[in-house]
Amino acid sequence: MKILVVEDEAGLRDSIRDYFAEGGNVCETVGDYASALQKINMYRYDCILLDITLPNGSGLDILEALKANHHPDGVLIISAKNSLDDRLQGLDLGADDYLTKPFHLSELKARVMAIVRRKSFNGNREIVFNEITVDLLAKQVLVSGMPVKLTKKEYALLLYFIANKSKVISKNAIAEHLWGDEIDISDNFDFIYSHIKNLRKKLIDAGSGDYIQSAYGMGYKFTDH
Amino acid sequence: MKLLDRYNRVSLLATISMIVIAGIVYYFTISLILTNQVDKDLLVEENEIFDYVGLNHRLPQVFKSDDLKIRFTAIPDSTIVRRIADSHFYDDQEHEDEAARMLTSSVRVGAQLYRINITESKVETDDLIRMIFLITLGLIFVLLVVLLLINRTLMRKLWEPFYETLKQIKLFNVADRNGICQVDTRIDEFQDLNREVTAMSQRVLHDYQSLKSFTENASHELMTPLAVIISKLETLMQDNDITERQGALIGEAYQTVDRLKKLNRSMLLLSRIENKLMHDAEDIDLQDTVRKKIIEFQELLADKHIVIREELEPHHIKLNRDLLNIMLNNLLGNAIQHNRPGGRIVVQLTGQQLSFCNTGTAVSLNQQTIFQRFHKSPESEGTGLGLTLVKQICDNYGFALSYAFNDQLHCFTVVFVN
Repeated sequence: MKILVVEDEAGLRDSIRDYFAEGGNVCETVGDYASALQKINMYRYDCILLDITLPNGSGLDILEALKANHHPDGVLIISAKNSLDDRLQGLDLGADDYLTKPFHLSELKARVMAIVRRKSFNGNREIVFNEITVDLLAKQVLVSGMPVKLTKKEYALLLYFIANKSKVISKNAIAEHLWGDEIDISDNFDFIYSHIKNLRKKLIDAGSGDYIQSAYGMGYKFTDH
Repeated sequence: MKLLDRYNRVSLLATISMIVIAGIVYYFTISLILTNQVDKDLLVEENEIFDYVGLNHRLPQVFKSDDLKIRFTAIPDSTIVRRIADSHFYDDQEHEDEAARMLTSSVRVGAQLYRINITESKVETDDLIRMIFLITLGLIFVLLVVLLLINRTLMRKLWEPFYETLKQIKLFNVADRNGICQVDTRIDEFQDLNREVTAMSQRVLHDYQSLKSFTENASHELMTPLAVIISKLETLMQDNDITERQGALIGEAYQTVDRLKKLNRSMLLLSRIENKLMHDAEDIDLQDTVRKKIIEFQELLADKHIVIREELEPHHIKLNRDLLNIMLNNLLGNAIQHNRPGGRIVVQLTGQQLSFCNTGTAVSLNQQTIFQRFHKSPESEGTGLGLTLVKQICDNYGFALSYAFNDQLHCFTVVFVN
């Protein structure tokens, strides 16, 4: 994957780069409007992470420039503004998705993966992780070719894990991914634990490896090593 | 009591008492004058009798007239005190007793002493007095009517600007941006009042707006640093050689920052709802939405072994989908979170209202504080803004939100009164 991060906050920019830069991904970063325009005129990316409020310019103008030139790059807007108007304006201009700051890096990764999957022309409608295959069209999970029956939430959880494989994902990020961010039940992560327990059991019973690991007090990790 | 009524009462009372006092004074003066007049007549009659007796040495012929009677009575020698006093007069024509004055005197004719009684009727005097009373009463009545009419029309008209200003003050709300507007009046006091109230409302609005924009900007500016902290902690989590203790510390720091983030988000959302920035209402099938929401929370319900009962009638409603989502998430989320394992939830939807009832603590929650900002139960670690958000959304659409505790169920009800 080739990613461009357009974000004026250096701390955030570096964190995103660190999180994405692995497994053959290329992640470039710029911090202002002018260099961002330069980049998008010279190179193509699978996905551009675009901050709306940039010094001396708006991310929305960059988005318009992209669309005016009919560039196929996927665009994910990241903004501190959570007003619906901004979101709609961004999506109307042709952005693929919209994420509000502050976000979890794991959420960002999952959204970017989804955009890139949608953009890919080879009709790749399957995600494979070792013996686990996820059929995105049928919303079905196969372990060694045998279907496994998962609930909606378990399915979403597995996709989230695979998108963030080998990364520690916080319980908060999982809760927010499954139930949205308005729900105020962050004080009780027992239900997440039971979800994860159920998913792990179903996968192992179907004959897959034991990939879900707990990472001390921080969260969970989906990994095969 | 209204100022007008108060004023009317005082002025009418004063007027009436003045008239009554004047009437009494009238009565007595006129009575006195007329009685004097009658007394003079009596003395004239007496003099005539004396003159006649002096001249003719016999009693005069007594004539009966309508209002004068003279009677001579022979009496044994004694002294008769000459006096004038109130008495009766029997009117033969009218056949009735009338008030009168009687002069008692005596006259000697030869050796015989006679008592003279001269009685004069006061009927005309009484008639006069009655007339005066009637006129006075009439005056009072006319005065009252005139005063009331004047008050009813003129005063009402005069006070109009005052009531207009008052109406605007009643309708004044800091959340709407419209202040109190100028009222057209030529009366100085009301002009002053209106001017000051208008100025004050402008100041209040301005202060409120600046306070609000400060809150919003502060929340807004916090978002980026929060984003950086969260992303740094997430990056730190990816290190492979974190010890268990470090992991626990990172986890705790992360939880706290995440709570801060939620708090901030809720605060921004609150101010946006207050600012009426969440428009684009759409027609929503509430029955279907609630049903889907319950399915969405299925795992959470199952996890706590909570039995949920749905009693949903079809109902459509016009509002913003995101806001409805927040409302349902909070109401259902609370019903699950504050429930006991193995508890019950009853969700009811009718054409009038939507209610979520759940088992939980055995005591009622505090009605007064439950919808206050940052109020939360001791065991909850949420932001304490959930119900505040729900309340704000209800206020926004003119719904009524209430809490009740009966037969061990905590019920939150949204009544759609539009």
